Amino acid sequence: MDVLTKFGVNWPAFIAQVLIVLVVYTVLKKYAFGPVLAMLEQRRSRIEEGEKELVKIREQLEQADYRVKAMLDEANAKAERLIGEARESASALREQKTQEAISEAEKIVAKAKEASKLEHERLLGELKRDFGRLVVETTGKVTGKVLDEKDQSRINQEAVGQLAI
Amino acid sequence: MVPTVSTLFTVPPMLAAVPLNAESLFGFVTNSMFVAVIVTTVILLFTRMATRRMETIPGKKQNLVEFVVEFVLTELEGILGRKIALKVFPLLATIFVFILVSNWFGLLPGVGSIGYGEQTGPLTLDASKHYTPYLRPATADLNMNLGMAAVFMIVWLYISIQEVGLGGFLKHIFGAKGGMTGLLGLLMAVIFFIVGIIEVISILFRPVSLSLRLFGNIFAGETLLHTMAELGEKMGWPDALAFVGRVVLPIPFYFMELLVGLVQAIVFTLLCAVYVQLSTAHDEEEHHH
Repeated sequence: MDVLTKFGVNWPAFIAQVLIVLVVYTVLKKYAFGPVLAMLEQRRSRIEEGEKELVKIREQLEQADYRVKAMLDEANAKAERLIGEARESASALREQKTQEAISEAEKIVAKAKEASKLEHERLLGELKRDFGRLVVETTGKVTGKVLDEKDQSRINQEAVGQLAI
Repeated sequence: MVPTVSTLFTVPPMLAAVPLNAESLFGFVTNSMFVAVIVTTVILLFTRMATRRMETIPGKKQNLVEFVVEFVLTELEGILGRKIALKVFPLLATIFVFILVSNWFGLLPGVGSIGYGEQTGPLTLDASKHYTPYLRPATADLNMNLGMAAVFMIVWLYISIQEVGLGGFLKHIFGAKGGMTGLLGLLMAVIFFIVGIIEVISILFRPVSLSLRLFGNIFAGETLLHTMAELGEKMGWPDALAFVGRVVLPIPFYFMELLVGLVQAIVFTLLCAVYVQLSTAHDEEEHHH
């Protein structure tokens, strides 16, 4: 005990120091360590949640990339198919339209030929009639006699018959 | 008289006369107790300011407190595991902070050097006259260190019994290890009982060793700084040189004492953690088996 006395150890001082330590302990525990530990725990949880969210977002991003790629592939395939179909369709349509145009043109040409032929025949008939009439008139003037209907018809027929048109 | 070789090379003791014990300011209130109160006030005010409005993104003060808390908690977890570390954390963190601040407070100018002298008045700085310093590092008083160690030992006993039970606690100290049976087992039981008595003595000495180690280091630091400051005068240097020496010589030791203050706070705290680990690890081992 002499040693302790030499170091100044005594009950009042010892108890006072113990009380000081207890006061610091109590106050720090309540007002410092408690809130700080709670904050650290809260921050740790938030970081943990953030990390989990990050992993989830990364996975979702990968899935989204995958989906976008799949959709693009599908869209490309569909587009190519549609273009192919459109090409085929356009080709068939063009062929059909060409055939129709050819057919139409042929019909027009045939009609035109028919009309031309009819016109030709009509003009030829008119010509024949005019020629016969002229021959009859000319014959009447040359001969100086009045031609009856019978003569006119006969001369007209002879003249037309001799017309090698 | 012709000087002999031994007298020529004998250096007179130049240690500064820092007393072993804290000195009374009034009644039982000592200068170290006064410093303990100041340190307590500083710690409590600072932590209150730092933690009054806790933010997720911390400010400078909150950041400092969080850094200390995380540092101590991480160290304790490394020794004790999270569960027990959280139990002892408030006390050991308190001890760590208190020791650290007390140790560093002792390095402030005026601590241990300004005091009241019977003949020299209320602001004495003259080391050649006897005076009572107003401030003495709290951890350079064995009462303070024993107080902290005593509080720790009570908490240690409580946690140890809470963790392993009274039977487990006694078995841990006195129980025979190795699982031997028969006559050999009986012999081992006797040996381990004797070992247990030695263990009890060593446990009783823990607060003494804890407090004396801290006291010795801080008291030695205080003595060293005073000795360096007074070296010029003790060596009989001219006044101007002695003044320069008083300023320059302690500076390297101030840096050393900053380190010693930190190391001693860590040592005290971690040794406490190791003591808790020693008395609770047995239980964990049994559970594992």
